[in-house]
Amino acid sequence: MKYQIVIAGIGGQGAVFLVKVLSIASALAHQKCLGTENHGMSQRGGSVSCYVKIGDFYAPAIDEGQADLLIALEGNEALRNIQYLNKDKGVIVMNAPKNFPKVSFETHSVDAFKKAKANEFPIDALNVYMLGVTLALDPHFPFSCKEIEEAITQMNAKVAEKNIVVLHQGINDAKDKK
Amino acid sequence: MKQILMGNDAIALGLIHAGVDMVSGYPGTPSSEILGNFQKFRDKFKLEAYAQWATNEKVGFEVAYAGAISGKRTCATMKQVGLNVASDPLMSASYIGLKGAMLLISCDDPGFYSSQTEQDSRSFAKFARIPVLDPSTPQEAYDMVKLGVELSHQFESIVMLRPVMRVSHAREICEVDDSLHVKANQGNFERNIPRWGAVPPAGRFRQGLEQIDRLEAIKAWNWDHLIKPKTHALKGENVLCLTSGTGDGYVREAISELDIHADVLKLDMPYPLPKEKLEELFVHYNKVIVFEESFPCIEEQLSSPKLYGKLTKHVHVIDEFSKDKVLSAFANAGVIAPSHAYKSEKYTEELPKRPPNMCPGCPHRDVHYAITKVFKKKKSIYTSDIGCYTLGLNQAAIDTILCMGASISMASGFSISDPDKTVIATIGDSTFMHSGVAPLINAVYQNHKFILVILDNSTTAMTGRQTTPERTNPHQIDIKRIVEGCGVSCHEYVYVQDINKTVDFMKSLHEMYKTATAPVVAVVREFCVLDRENAMGRLGNVTVEVDEDKCVACDSCITNYKCPPMHYNDAGKMEIDPFLCAGCGSCLDVICPTDAFVKKEEK
Repeated sequence: MKYQIVIAGIGGQGAVFLVKVLSIASALAHQKCLGTENHGMSQRGGSVSCYVKIGDFYAPAIDEGQADLLIALEGNEALRNIQYLNKDKGVIVMNAPKNFPKVSFETHSVDAFKKAKANEFPIDALNVYMLGVTLALDPHFPFSCKEIEEAITQMNAKVAEKNIVVLHQGINDAKDKK
Repeated sequence: MKQILMGNDAIALGLIHAGVDMVSGYPGTPSSEILGNFQKFRDKFKLEAYAQWATNEKVGFEVAYAGAISGKRTCATMKQVGLNVASDPLMSASYIGLKGAMLLISCDDPGFYSSQTEQDSRSFAKFARIPVLDPSTPQEAYDMVKLGVELSHQFESIVMLRPVMRVSHAREICEVDDSLHVKANQGNFERNIPRWGAVPPAGRFRQGLEQIDRLEAIKAWNWDHLIKPKTHALKGENVLCLTSGTGDGYVREAISELDIHADVLKLDMPYPLPKEKLEELFVHYNKVIVFEESFPCIEEQLSSPKLYGKLTKHVHVIDEFSKDKVLSAFANAGVIAPSHAYKSEKYTEELPKRPPNMCPGCPHRDVHYAITKVFKKKKSIYTSDIGCYTLGLNQAAIDTILCMGASISMASGFSISDPDKTVIATIGDSTFMHSGVAPLINAVYQNHKFILVILDNSTTAMTGRQTTPERTNPHQIDIKRIVEGCGVSCHEYVYVQDINKTVDFMKSLHEMYKTATAPVVAVVREFCVLDRENAMGRLGNVTVEVDEDKCVACDSCITNYKCPPMHYNDAGKMEIDPFLCAGCGSCLDVICPTDAFVKKEEK
């Protein structure tokens, strides 16, 4: 299998957490995994883009036109990274308001900020929420809900229960939308 | 045993499995997690090992080097610009060699993700004549740490490991040793004055000759153990790709995905290279292309009309690698037709720019604001330094950034060269300890007149909140007393989230400056908003909103104060993002000329 994911967001939104969860999930699914993440100056409120490459890869970075999936924790960051998507099969899952510019990719969006403002889920779990949305809406996503749950538990067992609740909230909200 | 490791985790674990029990260094992205992770593994496995941050890279290097010449297995960690600071001892140590083992880890940053310069530490290895290992993935980084420590011991030479950002911060499922057979090793310094205390020219001359011999032996080892075994896999294509580090991954993926016919030979130790042996291989090829990041280190050691690379302008000369750049190099060398297989259309409409910024609620923002408020731009020069406060650039509160410590020495220079302006230097606590003390002594010694503001948040915040000397030993090491020891008084201000008070403090410094005959030095006692222990109880608890009737969209707040939650809404008025606001309430005071910021509620 070869599957490449770009995770885009703003420093502080937990993009790196998702890289860790997805690499643990890869191990659980007996897949090779190579990922990379931003640290240091790049993380201070600036644009953050991380890569996860599942399968037989040698270079950690993803090139333009290659990614199967773009998970964007913020809408503009989706647009900023859109060139990484594969023209034929690229899918976007993003947190963006309704009046967002149309792009020529299969796009799934939820307005997670709006939901967080209405206290439907805590904003610091935005990353996990979007992972739930991805699980529900991207049919090619290479991991099962069980594998993601297990990966979240391995990451940090103490807060896993809370995170898994938000994960399912994301899944359910996305399914309702469908 | 398989483990999911980030490159810097893999390096730290490799150090433990290689029997290294003494690590010293200075944080710098992308190297910063190595020492911290080593400490974690050490504690987890209950090992006895020294692992501490040094005041700067030169000190860190020298501590580790002393350990090595006592026979211990040691390591010094830093980033490429840190190696500039440690280059002084490196040049000598490479002549003298060592007894135990010492791995020098210098992490490079192709693509300038968090550095002032790109640089290539392999060039420094070549300059210092020490072998360098260039890993391409976390797994290789782990393996090469162990190999490097062994080689260092075998050849009595410092060995450099040079991971790049895409190795240090890559994550991979790695195969690592199952069990641990590491015991703390006891150093025993054996006096040998002709070796350790050699004085030029006689002693050093002989060591210089020995160094050349050692290098020849390492070249032969490089061929026999690292290169020759790989030549059996060469398939006899027309083109040979010489790769190193991350360049290898991009080349391998590109040629397999696009079915390009070329042999790939990865050079794990890009210096010193067995030049003649390698060039003998070229006979079988029409073209040899070198793919290396960042500088032409391999290319410079070889010579052949068949050679294509950065020096011949066939490969890009700056920025990190990508498969698109690999294809360009193949096309430039006439191996394939120009290809756009790795190019895609970007979104072309304007997007909000999101430069790195100081965190919401960060005290540095208020200090920079107060400085620009009190010391008018036309009559002042703002020198600054390396750390979070560098991001004061966004507030136009910084005129110069050079390297660690330079804010103070450059303030000296400006006070001489442009004496009609007031120079205000800013520097953080960790940077002051790193290389600010010597220039301050220089300024006091020569009566240079400027203002120095030391921003003390008691941590090395930008690289991940590593401890600073003051933090560990607050009663013994104190910035105020250090400044006084340099021969000048130190004015202290304890930061509060009332920007008027910070402005008033700057005004008081301005008054002192008027009659001063030497530097006016102040320390602002702050905290880092991400530092739970220190920020507890000092963070704000008010929510601010904007009175849209009062906001005239004058840009004043977003230009001079530039807090991340501030942005314009659809109505063209300022708005505060509630998810980003830290509740400090600083913007309530003097930021807005029309008082449009209003307190919403206590958090």
